[in-house]
Amino acid sequence: MAIGLKDIKAKYRELFVVEKSPEEKNKPKDVKKMAKDFWYGKPHEERRLGDLYVGNTGLYKHREWRGVKDTMYYFNMIWLYNYAHMVTDIMKYGGGPKGVVTFAKGTMRYRWMGQTYLTVMHWFDRGLEGARGEAMKASAWHYRGMVSETIRQFMRMFEADKKLNGGEENETWKKTIAHNETLSGNIFYGWRGELDDVALEMIPYFVSVHVNNHTVLNYIDAAQSIGLPADPCPMCQAEYGLFVHDDYPDYSPVMLTTNEACDGSVATSVLQDWFLNRPLYAMPQPMRYDDPLVQKNCQKEIEGAWKFVEENFGIKMDWDQYVKHAQSFNKLTEFEWEKWDVAANTPYYPITGVAQALYRIYYSQDGDRPIWHEMDAHVKRIMDKCVKNKIETFPKTRHRAIAWSCAPLYYSHWCTWAYNCWGINTIINMDSLMFDQYLRTDTYEHALEDLAWFNEKAPMRAMAVGGHEHILSLFDYMERFNCDMVIMYDQLQCKGMQGIHGVFEDEFRKRNIHAIWVPHALPDKRTVSRAEIRDIINDYMTTVMREEPLDPSLLDFDDGGSW
Amino acid sequence: MKDLVHIFELEDLLQEANNPLVRQGKADGNRALGYTCYFMPEVLLDLPGCFSVRLRAPRSGSPDMATYYMTNRTCMYGRCLLERALEGGFNFLDAEMATETCTVTCRFQEHLQLMDIIKNPDFFCEFTDVPFKKNENSIDHYVGQLQAHVLDKLKEHFDIDTSDEALLKAIEQHNEVCRLIQEIGSYRKLDEPTITGWEFSIIQLATLVCPKYLIIDKLKDIAEQLKTRKPDAKKNYRVKVVLTGSEEDDPDFIKLIEECGALVVADRYCYGSLPGREEIVVKEGETPLRAIARHYLETSECPRFMDQHIMRARKQYLADIAKEYKADGIIISQMKFCEYWSYERTIDTLVIPRDFGYPVCSIEKEYVNNAVGQLRTRFQAFVESIELKKIQKEG
Repeated sequence: MAIGLKDIKAKYRELFVVEKSPEEKNKPKDVKKMAKDFWYGKPHEERRLGDLYVGNTGLYKHREWRGVKDTMYYFNMIWLYNYAHMVTDIMKYGGGPKGVVTFAKGTMRYRWMGQTYLTVMHWFDRGLEGARGEAMKASAWHYRGMVSETIRQFMRMFEADKKLNGGEENETWKKTIAHNETLSGNIFYGWRGELDDVALEMIPYFVSVHVNNHTVLNYIDAAQSIGLPADPCPMCQAEYGLFVHDDYPDYSPVMLTTNEACDGSVATSVLQDWFLNRPLYAMPQPMRYDDPLVQKNCQKEIEGAWKFVEENFGIKMDWDQYVKHAQSFNKLTEFEWEKWDVAANTPYYPITGVAQALYRIYYSQDGDRPIWHEMDAHVKRIMDKCVKNKIETFPKTRHRAIAWSCAPLYYSHWCTWAYNCWGINTIINMDSLMFDQYLRTDTYEHALEDLAWFNEKAPMRAMAVGGHEHILSLFDYMERFNCDMVIMYDQLQCKGMQGIHGVFEDEFRKRNIHAIWVPHALPDKRTVSRAEIRDIINDYMTTVMREEPLDPSLLDFDDGGSW
Repeated sequence: MKDLVHIFELEDLLQEANNPLVRQGKADGNRALGYTCYFMPEVLLDLPGCFSVRLRAPRSGSPDMATYYMTNRTCMYGRCLLERALEGGFNFLDAEMATETCTVTCRFQEHLQLMDIIKNPDFFCEFTDVPFKKNENSIDHYVGQLQAHVLDKLKEHFDIDTSDEALLKAIEQHNEVCRLIQEIGSYRKLDEPTITGWEFSIIQLATLVCPKYLIIDKLKDIAEQLKTRKPDAKKNYRVKVVLTGSEEDDPDFIKLIEECGALVVADRYCYGSLPGREEIVVKEGETPLRAIARHYLETSECPRFMDQHIMRARKQYLADIAKEYKADGIIISQMKFCEYWSYERTIDTLVIPRDFGYPVCSIEKEYVNNAVGQLRTRFQAFVESIELKKIQKEG
């Protein structure tokens, strides 16, 4: 088929040219305004961010113009800076240039790796769309922290991986602890001097679904292909699917699991065990965790995990290492509380809803690492500046929302869209509020006590188990964070949340609260698409709230094929 | 075979939770204590002055109100229980002794706490934390939980005698029931069993939902009759199977399987007797409560146990049962939306034929069993496949 100049022109327009509406075309040219828009960026209501998308791809026709200063910052300090670090980090964590070879082997071997690395910057773009000034900068540092730590983890896995090293059990393999992504890294602080701990599914599943939401579908399908029904939590299905497809790195002689957060997690551990077939320690935590009587049991299970590591690696737990990392982690917790305080009580909080949610869950699950401190220092500087100079970071906020339950991983950046389109500013989310526990280190007993509490308050389980009062604490947090709207995540396959659906309906009505139910299937975009999520919010905002969108171009666009 | 004595009477007792024997138990001045899970030791709820009722929602239709509260994406057993509670069907309960052992039944029980559903001024709902492992730490923990959340609460609310003597008495009564059920169930091991799976499921269920002291004599009569009961001259089943899986309290489901030619000779599911009807042994130097805690942890085959060796031993247990009861195959049945059994069924379906050589029929079903036609087809095909294998083997 011959391709003519006309076709090329049409394709060019489709891919690169943002068409103006007839009204805009007919507007008389205002040079002064054009110069102002060029220098400062367009006012929120005139941005028409939805027009930037190439249909059905979620890709941009051109990058968002945020004004000279912010665009330059974005290009240099976010885009270039991070791309450069995505190369240098590979060498840094891979022991020099040979790290590139290890990285290449991992990229070729693992689907979740090969499909996600080059889409990372698009992940930044999605999360930071429309962000300006300090909000853009602070949120980007959070993203940078997550990327760096991800590289550190997968480089460790690849270096140790028997599958990438001809079946050899090398020294790194012998010195790496594998554990469920839902078991917090803080359990292993006592060995951080001699061993390293890497969560097995954190990168292959959790991070990859955020960066490229197509990748995980393959694993969900794999889990179902051997007979698992479609209704269990799709996160568990995906974690299990990695094993069905033999797409997990074999980087450790042992495995430690946990019952966090739900029945599905327990069952997944059981299934994975049949594939891993190596020494396993299950470290369950009590369900009724408010009960003072359960604490001893939990503490003994932690000690059991420590003993297991000691026996299998022949290395004693180093108490000083534990203290060092626990105290260091406390500094992260202190800053988290500071952030919550600013978010709750001022309009100067400089972090987008998605950056807050992902960064918090990532670092607190991962445990103390240098990168988190480095990032927090950057963010603290920015936040202090915002507070001191009273910089309203999200000036178009119409509603301060709290997001409750677990988020759609394939559309965690929905809150960026919601702010740009409707002025719904997601101040805090449920999973950010977990692990709300200071770790004392003055005595062994106190340390163990707090560590048990810390793990009992892990993601989802902190709110979703142990009594209905935990999940209904939404209303207290709503007040604490000065929110006037609830985004109620409706994870369709989460039995715990589905099981209390009606009580929330009753409470919302009784308390006259605006709550938007957002159905989703955690990592599986096929159940409820991103566009459907937007439609639900659009419908509520127009029919119930009777509001006009800030940016109408974002009401309806097709990003079904996007990463 | 000649009809079993009391069988129709027992079947009638299963038609509603507040059955005539429950009403009689209450009229005798006893407290009715509800529970849903094996991890709430029924023996503790059968102390003098009270009796246990394992909750069921027989003759359920569409649980509409409960579906509003729990959506249609949760296990129907939990929803039907909530529906029955909302309808007033559990108002006879004086307490619900709850466990957070699977999500949906936990939510059901939380609704009882939260919504003031049970119209009984004395009613309370108390949760017990149940460990995920079978080690000494777990037993210590479980003992503490049962003391604080079961015994102390029964004493506090209803002045129930929870002394060691009372516990020993309850264990004695419990063991008597267990011995009788084991005796009755043992006839399923015969080459030609003299009791059907349907009959046995009715008897076993009746022991779970009626005051024990009102049912023991009936069990004795049945055991006596079974000593001389003869199998039918012409065998009316084609294969023998073990039924395993999640919650199952519907004898008609067993009947459905048996109508397809598969005699259910062993019941390894929630509400079944394997495990569930083993005698509690109090070891020397052990308190009765510790013996009870140890017993329930050690005997349970629940898929929520996470220890590696326990996970693997579960498969062996199933295979051992199949061998002991001379089964030709195993039906693994999972209540739709049951997370634990979704996974357990999947892995059993893979491991049992591979490692133990037993053919498996793996099904998903609802609590209210409307899909009779589809299931019948599945079971008939399963029976045929076993027969074909037998023929091939013989050939």
